[in-house]
Amino acid sequence: MFDQGDQRHSLFIVRSIFKELLCIIGLTFIGAAYGLLSGLSPKPWAKPELPAGAIHFADANVLNPIWLDARPVELFEQGHIEGALWLDPEDWESGIPTLMDTWLQNPRPIVIYCSSETCNTSRSIAKQMRDALPQAEIYYMEGGWSHD
Amino acid sequence: MTKINSSGLILLIARLAVAATFLMAALPKLQAPLEFAESVSAFQLIGPVASLWVAITLPWLELISGIGLVIPQIRRSSAFIISLLLLLFIGLHVSAWNRGLDISCGCFGAHEDLTADYTWPILRNVILLCATIAIAIRDFRHHSRLKTPKA
Repeated sequence: MFDQGDQRHSLFIVRSIFKELLCIIGLTFIGAAYGLLSGLSPKPWAKPELPAGAIHFADANVLNPIWLDARPVELFEQGHIEGALWLDPEDWESGIPTLMDTWLQNPRPIVIYCSSETCNTSRSIAKQMRDALPQAEIYYMEGGWSHD
Repeated sequence: MTKINSSGLILLIARLAVAATFLMAALPKLQAPLEFAESVSAFQLIGPVASLWVAITLPWLELISGIGLVIPQIRRSSAFIISLLLLLFIGLHVSAWNRGLDISCGCFGAHEDLTADYTWPILRNVILLCATIAIAIRDFRHHSRLKTPKA
């Protein structure tokens, strides 16, 4: 059984922890606000900046690039960007010879896309492909592409 | 002078290690919030705008909790918040592993190997969680002994 002293002690502990938590949360918000006001962090309500190596469909289309479709083959067969080459997302290295043939015939930027905004495959492949083909201009398409 | 016994010394080392880990995790994310937002987004649990909010606030929470772990006035709550964060990170990694997502951890910023390897981040977070819980228990006991309210 708790006596009054124990209850007072528990209440004291809860209060002091609550104060500590408020202090940490307050400092976190001050830090986040500083980041937003100083320009250290991008503003979520503003139009997001494009990350390095990313490109929008409209901008990529102007470049007349080599399109690489990194979606599952079923989705590629349902529809893809005109002229796109399919790249096995599980084994993208196997598509390098075909890609090199196309690229050597007419060197131009390479744009890799997958199916959605949150799809990470195209970004991941683009990063690794830049290391494998340092002389090529390689982007991944922001927002992905789907056959609708 | 305060005498430190061997368990106290181990906990002091653990405290400094957890604090340093959280500082090292927070600083690259603060420098590159967009890249971190992408790592958050890759877990496919929240949208891009929510990911950006997480990328703006989470590194500060990690930084302040990490520093707070060595500040006596806020170290209990810092340990509590770090424990919750580590539980969250473990859950996120298990979830991503279960869904077969091939994503990077994003734990120490975006400049990591993109090959997904969930075993080490989960194991590391479990070790950090055990250390933080041990630190929190000691801090609670210590604080209770020191500050007893007057009747």
